[in-house]
Amino acid sequence: MTARLLLAEDTRDLNRALTTVLEHEGYNVVSAYDGQEALDYLSSEVFDALVLDIMMPKKDGLQVLSEMRAAGNYTPVLLLTAKAEVDDRVAGLDAGADDYLTKPFAMKELLARVRSMTRRHDDYAKQRVAFEDVLLDAQTFELSAANTVRLSVREFELMQTLVSHASRPLTVDYLLDSVWRQEDDAQEDTVQLYVSYLRGKLKWVGSHVTIQKSDEGFCLANDKTEL
Amino acid sequence: MDDIYGGKRSDMELVLNRFVQRIKEVRQSMAAETDFDTIEHMLARVKSEESMREKCRRKGLPETAESALTKIYDALGVRIVCSFLSDVYDIRDHIAAEPDYEVVEERDYIRNAKPNGYRSYHMILRSVEGYYIEIQLRTISMDTWAALEHHLRYKKPHVGNQKLIVQELKRCADELASTDVSMQTIRDMLLAEES
Repeated sequence: MTARLLLAEDTRDLNRALTTVLEHEGYNVVSAYDGQEALDYLSSEVFDALVLDIMMPKKDGLQVLSEMRAAGNYTPVLLLTAKAEVDDRVAGLDAGADDYLTKPFAMKELLARVRSMTRRHDDYAKQRVAFEDVLLDAQTFELSAANTVRLSVREFELMQTLVSHASRPLTVDYLLDSVWRQEDDAQEDTVQLYVSYLRGKLKWVGSHVTIQKSDEGFCLANDKTEL
Repeated sequence: MDDIYGGKRSDMELVLNRFVQRIKEVRQSMAAETDFDTIEHMLARVKSEESMREKCRRKGLPETAESALTKIYDALGVRIVCSFLSDVYDIRDHIAAEPDYEVVEERDYIRNAKPNGYRSYHMILRSVEGYYIEIQLRTISMDTWAALEHHLRYKKPHVGNQKLIVQELKRCADELASTDVSMQTIRDMLLAEES
């Protein structure tokens, strides 16, 4: 799929040069020349990522960033800062930028950062992860081996966390942090119950994978090797 | 028109009633052991004249008592709807251990759901008198899905496409299956705490 970028840069020559290079890399690029124009595009169209210059007429990049985030738009943003000042970069990241690049920059580096931003976005949305005979689909929350079942959001997040650290035991505290984000009423019992749900569901989809508990924490394991 | 069961209908009803009675006894002895009622409800029927004839035609068999009683196995049918997943398998074990009924065939569509999402445990038994009985064992959730899917099966969508409907019905089946396992897990946890 072609990623769609919004490029907001008021210097016409630079805007044109960047557009040419990005289009050559296969991106679909829309150009804006001031902050207000960028906001207008953002309110009417959908983009996969945004390259945003800080110094722009009408509204500067930081204003655009905080207005779009306040409106609930979480499209990844790469800020272009003219000054190498620390305060500028800190302000940008605090306002919700995902990354920044200081002018002058190498075109190669800009492309690498745009790639990283759009890839991150893609991966989260469409990931399918596997461990042994189990497949976990992030789009449908389907857990499958011989059979399939639908997981609840929490069950899915727990399973995904276990799969992405498959070889390492995870402590209850780590799971409460990353899956339950330290919600007030989530406790060790909660984790234990959800582990039990997943063990049951792994069994009923006909998988050989189970969740082992040791002193170090919870870890996926192949049940067959146990027998 | 002659009776498709060749005058055996009252014999068949007797066999069916005796089987149902046996399952009721099993249910009571299980309840005495665990304090749980394993069976939510049970339905038993002799396949109607009309649908048996229709099935013979569909299978290309002559419409005779021989076809109905020896080539087709669901002249007698019992559906046992259980509370929990484990109850399905416990009841299955009890049935398989019954000396008066031989298990002719078994299909576990719970562990291996049909592609459309249908789940049930199927058994075909032969009674000592030589009558076949088809048993469907399932949980309340599986029964809910099968009943609702049956209502929708022959409705053609005015909008959208058939494939999407089939996909969505399967998704519902998988979600219910997931809930069944969750309820079983909760039950196991409560029982473990008691003991």
